Amino acid sequence: MTHLTRNLIILIFIIVFIMAFSGSYLSLSIDNLAYVLAIGIDKADNDNLQVTFQFSTTTQATESGSSEKAPSVVNSVKSSSISSAINLLNGYMGKQLNLSHCKVIIFSEELALDGISEEVYTLINDTQIRPSANIVISKCPAKDYIEQTSPELENLISKYYEIFTNSSKYSGFTADSTIGKFFNNLICKMYQPTAILGGLTTKDLDSESNLDYHENNSIKSNNAPIQGENGAENIGMAAFYRDKIVGELTALESIAYLTLEDDINRFLISIPDPKNTGRYLDIYISPTKSPKVKIDTSTSSPFIQMELKFSGQIYSMSDNSEYLNTDILNEISENCNQYLETLFSNYLYKTSKEFKSDINGLGKYALKNFFRTEEFDNYDWHTNYRNAFFDVKVDTTVKSGMLITDT
Amino acid sequence: MTKSKIGTLEAIMLILSIVVTHTILSLPREVTVNTKSAAIINLIFVSILAIIISYIIVKLLKNFPGSDIIDISEVLGGKALKNIIGGIFIVYFLVTTSILLRNFSESLRIIHYPMTNIIFILFLFIIALCSANRLAFNASLKTNLLIIPFVLVSMVFLFFANMNKFIPERIFPIFGDGLISTFVLGIGNLSSFAGIAFLYFLPPYLKKPEKLKKIAVISTGISAIYLILCVSTLLFMFSFFITTNEITPLYNATRYIEFGSFFQRLESAFLLIWTLAFACYLSIVTKFCMSIFQKLTNIETKKPLIDIFGLLILAIALVPKDYSISSNFETEIYPYLVLGIVFFLSLSILILANLQKRKQKKSA
Repeated sequence: MTHLTRNLIILIFIIVFIMAFSGSYLSLSIDNLAYVLAIGIDKADNDNLQVTFQFSTTTQATESGSSEKAPSVVNSVKSSSISSAINLLNGYMGKQLNLSHCKVIIFSEELALDGISEEVYTLINDTQIRPSANIVISKCPAKDYIEQTSPELENLISKYYEIFTNSSKYSGFTADSTIGKFFNNLICKMYQPTAILGGLTTKDLDSESNLDYHENNSIKSNNAPIQGENGAENIGMAAFYRDKIVGELTALESIAYLTLEDDINRFLISIPDPKNTGRYLDIYISPTKSPKVKIDTSTSSPFIQMELKFSGQIYSMSDNSEYLNTDILNEISENCNQYLETLFSNYLYKTSKEFKSDINGLGKYALKNFFRTEEFDNYDWHTNYRNAFFDVKVDTTVKSGMLITDT
Repeated sequence: MTKSKIGTLEAIMLILSIVVTHTILSLPREVTVNTKSAAIINLIFVSILAIIISYIIVKLLKNFPGSDIIDISEVLGGKALKNIIGGIFIVYFLVTTSILLRNFSESLRIIHYPMTNIIFILFLFIIALCSANRLAFNASLKTNLLIIPFVLVSMVFLFFANMNKFIPERIFPIFGDGLISTFVLGIGNLSSFAGIAFLYFLPPYLKKPEKLKKIAVISTGISAIYLILCVSTLLFMFSFFITTNEITPLYNATRYIEFGSFFQRLESAFLLIWTLAFACYLSIVTKFCMSIFQKLTNIETKKPLIDIFGLLILAIALVPKDYSISSNFETEIYPYLVLGIVFFLSLSILILANLQKRKQKKSA
């Protein structure tokens, strides 16, 4: 083969390959793509879905160099499925919708009551959707949630979506529930899925004055005493049985959920002050060990024993406080134990009796009681979890205050 | 034929390349599906068996220094058996490699090139294997020596990076589907150690043939650790691989790696490393196929065979009408081919040849 023929063949090959792969590259060209940041899915009439897409637009830089908030574009489509909604919008926008930067998927509570497995399966089947995209169950229409989401401290809404679940590590008021985890739990024999509970912020703070935030920390999305520019809020969690929503967790119950998941660094609780009746102490609680769980599956009513260990630091301060006094600290620790034992017991019985759903996957601790998968399947964990009994033991060591120890 | 020699480390990586490439696709999932929660125990059991078998193979090969399975077949059954065994191995290597190539290319197409015809993706690999085989004998082996450690390290990284998502309790119930399923039917997972096939062909190529035992034990041991890491990652992370099939389960695991908002989307890096490992594997397998063919036909040079074998692989890869057929071949037929050819047929020939030799010695 002459040098010229060889070069000619190589050239032909290069041209053929450029043509062959250009289709794939063109379809991924930034000019042809519309990046979706959030998808909202609502129930529409005639078994249809109303799918809302939020897109990013480029940031406009001013002459002074400071950047303004990048406005986002929200479009809605009514269709029979998510894929046909995407297809419709592809045509409408003249660009291909790309879901690789989609950070949040919002389902309306109304749709979640009917089941969302079809939508979750479709989304997880998409190569572009990241398993880390968060799932939010909105107590309002998903479209309203998207429209009302307006981060106050971020110019880019995508940045807000990226970080809004970070607070779960130190507040515990919601969890970092992702579609990957949701799908995994949907199919799992030991777990049931959960999602973030979303809603709209209260416009009038006075209307929520009947809530006692010390005694019954029952705040959750749509009734949280928060007023701000951001119209959407994410407090509490949605509990599922299979693909249907079965209940909601308040902020405090979300803390219990995250503690049992061993997915929280610290949280704040308010317990009655042993020295001043009617007053409350705010204490930062940090889990010191992973929860120890033992399950007796000898009967069809599993007996679940749980040991939890925490350390605490007193945050609130008033005059006449003695936070270096061992007796006082022991008394506070004992109060913490009682408070937390009640919290965890109530939470567990709520999941078992009210939700009938093992959202913490306690079934995984029962697995070692069986030698064969078939034996565990026959035990029918999800059904028997409804008959479960719990014994929670909490050991809290409140160490001291923070900067000030005595006043 | 034996002008170019293979070093000990190169030989170890050569054996590992088969395990590595099959693990990228459906192998870990198949192990998990077959044995469920007992997958790790089963792999430990099967690994011990694989090490024993590879040790036996080395012992049996010792009586035929410098000979591979083709030469030994000739000793045992003359030219006819030599041609049959040679033909079987050529077909085995070509078919399994082609189908694996098809499956990997299909995965690449789904993930990265949705608008590209599969033939062009396949062709890229064929060009790579033809080019590599035109270079010196050791070129692709040395490249393999560089790439495989990256794959091994990437898998260790994958395991540790996802560790916070693990649910170790998934190792229970300890015996999965039962003792029979784990320790009797589970022996089928021996097919994961298909790399042992190269042991039969290595003796004439080794720089230090006395190191064959070391090569066999180390490569099987590393394969075992590697497989356990891959299977553990899937078993501890996901509940759905038992009921749901994904094209590349380990790729799915790579999508979960995130370190804050800065260090994300590492799956592309994994795919790049795997693609390189795949290209190396293809060129090595083709090289061995050509060597067997040369041995059978006594042709002087292998160079004219390169394009023919490349096109053969392309043609076989295009035979399955769609991904479901090629995927089925990999999960339903491939394990039996490995068990039948690598562990039964070849081992039987070695045993029979050794018995024959012993008989001849006695009669002499």
